[in-house]
Amino acid sequence: MFARLLWKLLRGSQSRLAVAMVALVGGAAVISALINLDFGVEPKLTQEFRTLGANLVIVPREGARTSDAATSAPALLDQQTVMRGLRQASSPAVVASAPYLYIVARVANTPVVVAGTWLGEARKLEPAWKLVGDWASLRDDKKLCLVGRNVARQLRLDADTEIELHYLDRSAKLVVTGVCDSGGPEDNQVLVNLPVAQELAQLTGAGPRISLVQLSVQGTPAKIAAYAAELARALPEYEVRPIPQVTEAEAAMLGRIRLLILSMVLLILILTALCVLATMAALAMERRADVGLMKALGGSISRIVGLFLAEVGVLGAAGGLIGGAAGVALSRWMGARVFGAAISARWEVFPLTVALMVAVALAGALPLRLLGKVKPAVILRGE
Amino acid sequence: MNMATMVQVEGLRKVFGNVRALDGVSFRVEQGEWIAIMGPSGSGKTTLINILGGLDAPTAGHAVVAGADVARLDESGLTRFRAEKIGFIFQQFHLVPYLTALENVMLAQYFHSATDEAEARAALERVGLAGRITHLPAQLSGGEQQRVAVARALINHPKLILADEPTGNLDEANEEIVLRLLRDLHSAGHTILMVTHAPSIGELAGRRIELAHGRVVQITAVSSSR
Repeated sequence: MFARLLWKLLRGSQSRLAVAMVALVGGAAVISALINLDFGVEPKLTQEFRTLGANLVIVPREGARTSDAATSAPALLDQQTVMRGLRQASSPAVVASAPYLYIVARVANTPVVVAGTWLGEARKLEPAWKLVGDWASLRDDKKLCLVGRNVARQLRLDADTEIELHYLDRSAKLVVTGVCDSGGPEDNQVLVNLPVAQELAQLTGAGPRISLVQLSVQGTPAKIAAYAAELARALPEYEVRPIPQVTEAEAAMLGRIRLLILSMVLLILILTALCVLATMAALAMERRADVGLMKALGGSISRIVGLFLAEVGVLGAAGGLIGGAAGVALSRWMGARVFGAAISARWEVFPLTVALMVAVALAGALPLRLLGKVKPAVILRGE
Repeated sequence: MNMATMVQVEGLRKVFGNVRALDGVSFRVEQGEWIAIMGPSGSGKTTLINILGGLDAPTAGHAVVAGADVARLDESGLTRFRAEKIGFIFQQFHLVPYLTALENVMLAQYFHSATDEAEARAALERVGLAGRITHLPAQLSGGEQQRVAVARALINHPKLILADEPTGNLDEANEEIVLRLLRDLHSAGHTILMVTHAPSIGELAGRRIELAHGRVVQITAVSSSR
């Protein structure tokens, strides 16, 4: 009988309940989309931030000096030790990593910073660079180099131009494969494969040396910090530290977006509850006669209001389900608009949306409490 | 109050603001009696019925119905009292508009205990509505609606039937049908308290209690109930 009454109540007030239903479906759709967006924003945002380049760096400990004490040159890293440590702490979160050795060489008597790295990794490590020409795909090709746009302008270099680097009494002839625009210090550098720089600096041999290693690691700031700690344990002799400008900007951006999403979800929940509240207040007035009669027939107020609350709960659940489904489409659209890629729906958002809508509907059903004050004798008199 | 007494009212008073709706009403009704409560408008008939049915609380006095003093029952006690001991028949029928005839009867079962659709159908068949079971109140005539109300009043086998002008809104033919049902109920041993204006209907009862200005002015035994 309970289900039968519930069905009849829903059918009996179709037009009135339709208003609440529209509010619940609309609220659920936006909330579902926002929650899906919240779940999806972190990977999307970290992906976006990964285009900004490395976010983790391995460097010598502060104050450390090279073993050649007489030169008082900055300390270098032992390449093999670092690579062993990276293998030991390997993680799928590492998008790309590359060693760097910086020297100051001369090109046509002009001093220029030469960065020896793995050119083949540069594209993965710095996907946001704009390049005129081609990327170098091999990390041991000693004939190719990339030049920063400022260097290219100053030395009048283009793709396919030959350049000769001079360092002390050593030199290397290379072909410019591309001119890069990074918006950073690389615009003032010549990028060569690591062996070229190491040979120029005579840092090859049994223990090749490097200045630092840059890593691009995917994940939240917390996950990146956790990976940094793991890597530091694998490389106790060196310092592993996040690049603060990148990780802090990422954390701040993520925090702001999440706060915005949470605020909007709360606002929509309140607005939906208010809409349901207005509908239920009108419905409570309409149902005073029914309640008076039900009380006269021996219906307890808890049983009668329970029936009406179940009706509101069903409405909330239906609104949550329909709106939740609509929210999936909305989140895909929003993801495509904001991040250029659809955000995939999370199954757990459905029960969460339904639960929120049921809670909102029940909160909005507060006026039904007034029915407890209905006096059957007064109602049956027609007052 | 002996075992055969269904209703015992002593010094019952009900005041609405400055209006004394009931002013020291006392009487007794034995089990199986049919009582007609009569009197002009505003004499306190409906107030009396409402108090006896646990729909309203007296200002003073006692109303013991089927062993329960309604003035002393709390809200939940009154709810159980109405569900288990009273069957109401109202002048305005008071059916739930979006429930069918059958569901209106089952609603009383639902609030009493468990529903039994077969029993509810049988109750409607007894009042001659076998063919109108799935009709909504709006699809029924006034007489048919009142018969649904009678079936609903009887479905939980109440100790006392309280009928407030049960034929007040009916034409002659339907009035006769409803009165026949009441006669049948009385013959079957039900105790009935019926409010009516019409002396001819009052003649059907075993006794008439006449009220005026909230007081009992006369209790008359009717010589022959038809």
